[in-house]
Amino acid sequence: MAQFAQFALTRAFMALVTLLTVSLIVFTLMELVPGTCAERYLAFKNTQGSQITIADIAAEERRLGLDRPFPERWGKWVYNVFVHGEFGDSCILRLNINQLLADKFWISLGICMAALILSYAIAVPIGIISASSNNPVTNNSLRFVSYLGLALPNFLLALIIMLFSTVVFGDSLTGLFSKEYRDAAWSWAKFGDFLSRAWLPVFILGWSATAFALQTVRALMLDEIGKLYVTAAAARGVSGTKLLWRYPARHSLGPVINSLGFDLNRIFNELPIVALILTLTEAGALLFESLARSNDQQLAGAIIFLLTASIVALNFATDILLALIDPRVRRGMMG
Amino acid sequence: MFARKTATVGGIDQKAKEAYFTASQGQLIWARFKGNRTAMIAAWALVLMILMGLFAPFLSPYDPTIAGRDENYENGAPQFPKFKDENGFSARPFIYATERERSIKTNFRWVVTENRDKRLYVRFFVRDWDYKLLGVIPTNIHLFGVDEGGKIHLFGTDASGKDIFGRTLHAIWTSLAVGTLGVFISFVLALVIGGVAGYFGGWIDSVLQMITDAIRTVPSIPLFMALAAFMPDHWSSETRFFFISIILGLIGWPTLARRIRTHLLTERTQEYVLAAELCGASSSHIIRRHLLPSFTSYIIVDLMISFPYMVRSETALSFIGLGLKDPVNSLGALMQNVSKADVLLNYQWYFIPVIFFVALVLAFVFVGDGLRDAADPYSDTKK
Repeated sequence: MAQFAQFALTRAFMALVTLLTVSLIVFTLMELVPGTCAERYLAFKNTQGSQITIADIAAEERRLGLDRPFPERWGKWVYNVFVHGEFGDSCILRLNINQLLADKFWISLGICMAALILSYAIAVPIGIISASSNNPVTNNSLRFVSYLGLALPNFLLALIIMLFSTVVFGDSLTGLFSKEYRDAAWSWAKFGDFLSRAWLPVFILGWSATAFALQTVRALMLDEIGKLYVTAAAARGVSGTKLLWRYPARHSLGPVINSLGFDLNRIFNELPIVALILTLTEAGALLFESLARSNDQQLAGAIIFLLTASIVALNFATDILLALIDPRVRRGMMG
Repeated sequence: MFARKTATVGGIDQKAKEAYFTASQGQLIWARFKGNRTAMIAAWALVLMILMGLFAPFLSPYDPTIAGRDENYENGAPQFPKFKDENGFSARPFIYATERERSIKTNFRWVVTENRDKRLYVRFFVRDWDYKLLGVIPTNIHLFGVDEGGKIHLFGTDASGKDIFGRTLHAIWTSLAVGTLGVFISFVLALVIGGVAGYFGGWIDSVLQMITDAIRTVPSIPLFMALAAFMPDHWSSETRFFFISIILGLIGWPTLARRIRTHLLTERTQEYVLAAELCGASSSHIIRRHLLPSFTSYIIVDLMISFPYMVRSETALSFIGLGLKDPVNSLGALMQNVSKADVLLNYQWYFIPVIFFVALVLAFVFVGDGLRDAADPYSDTKK
């Protein structure tokens, strides 16, 4: 137990270091965006008719703490994020980022996690079956489908489905809520409405994720299936699905769990683009909005950081899970 | 495998065996790659598409920019050259001339009609817009075209009357060029960073690994978007092109860097390196003659595999409007045009560049896969 606690602590510490490095990258990026927050505020005031001088900008910069040196500002940002979970205000929208993001981020995360679960729910059984079958037609067609997952990008798939449903059903299936629920508070009815629309982004995001997952599962199974312990088990009279699930599948599960973090990363990659096409009102769309349209570095930084943080959190969780189900991992980490 | 061969010792067999044992690594990889039918087909498709991109100006009858627009045929459907119609057979393929009319009859809208009595015959090596063949030889000869008085559009035209055939060919080249530049930049970065980490080890390695891992964790498309958002709107298309390539390269290096590092770390302690050291070889000699050759094939394979991702990222960026923009013909910029309901209902030929994109990525993936299998000396025994 003590060994396990030590393992968990080291992992947690490593995750924290990664997060700090990520925060440095994100913060530097935010700094590199031309124009500071102070200039944005005042540019807005300028459009409202008030005269702006250089002194005003300097005063505003002082008020926002922008005149402090870079490490200090970064430290402050990190402190606020890590200790208070506070991302400050958006420069453009002049709103608190936490309020702005609250629901939207969880919706995004929920959609992406659902896509991840969907992709493995499909990939694990099919991958195992295809690895154990010697039928070249099955194998080649599976290979082709999974390559198509790469070659036919999600945004195209989303577009095709959307346009198709517009033509056939007269409903574009876009958005996350029907009109009557858009501004309503969360309730079961709203949740139901959300589910009736969220399946499309989940499916589209899951599409290429499934293709990748299928390849991973199949390759791992192929590696394991030829090993001697499987032959030995077969010789003892274990056969069929029982043989597959109890021996090679269990072993190939480890690396699969390990790669979940990167799969989530891949899904996040597609999120802003799919969100843009399906006009979802969640964090991915907000990220696109803040980057492409309004240059809102505070908001964009917060979203990128949150996305990365959830990947780091998932990596940490899978590490712990792996250590729980596989004692070899624990010992390997210690030694 | 070899036991079977020695059983049938013959002159030819002996020679083949000798060739097998004295073959260089490159020859072995090529021999194995040739045996993979899918990969070979993909390789030919890839070569074909690269050539199409390279000779795009020669192959496309009209200037792909707004200068080459056909104002009489906007949003025009693809025209297929015909050999025969109700007016009789012709050995020389032809299309019909189009006419545009706007009058009270057409409710004051432009309406394009085909004049079936006026044939435009396909001609070869026609002179049209000026370009530089392979970027050097100035010329104005194009592979094909039609008689004076009309234009041929194999893939149709877009909303401003630009020839989609020519645009697609040019777009393939642009996307390949962005990908190549991106892969090259990330390759150099990966080589330097991974090489330093792997060769020096110790704390330098730890710090570099930490940074590499952190960059790998950040989802790359949002990062691309963040960097691409720095691009001022007034930049010329060439500057945008280079900037996008640099961004792709700056973010793509961590995976390759990690592989190079791992490889160097394991190879550095191998006996043959120790042997070379004991023979008094300098470290630069060891790196050049022993370490680098030991993984060049892996690097080539890795580059090949990372290529479709680069092309895909460029397309995604351009698609959402943060990458290359319309005057430039990139596959992503062309695909941006398909995102309207109008296109699916009325102008389906806008989707033709999509087919090329899918084919390009598939070709790269299959070739990359074939190369990976061919470069792996154990790939035969595994299966």
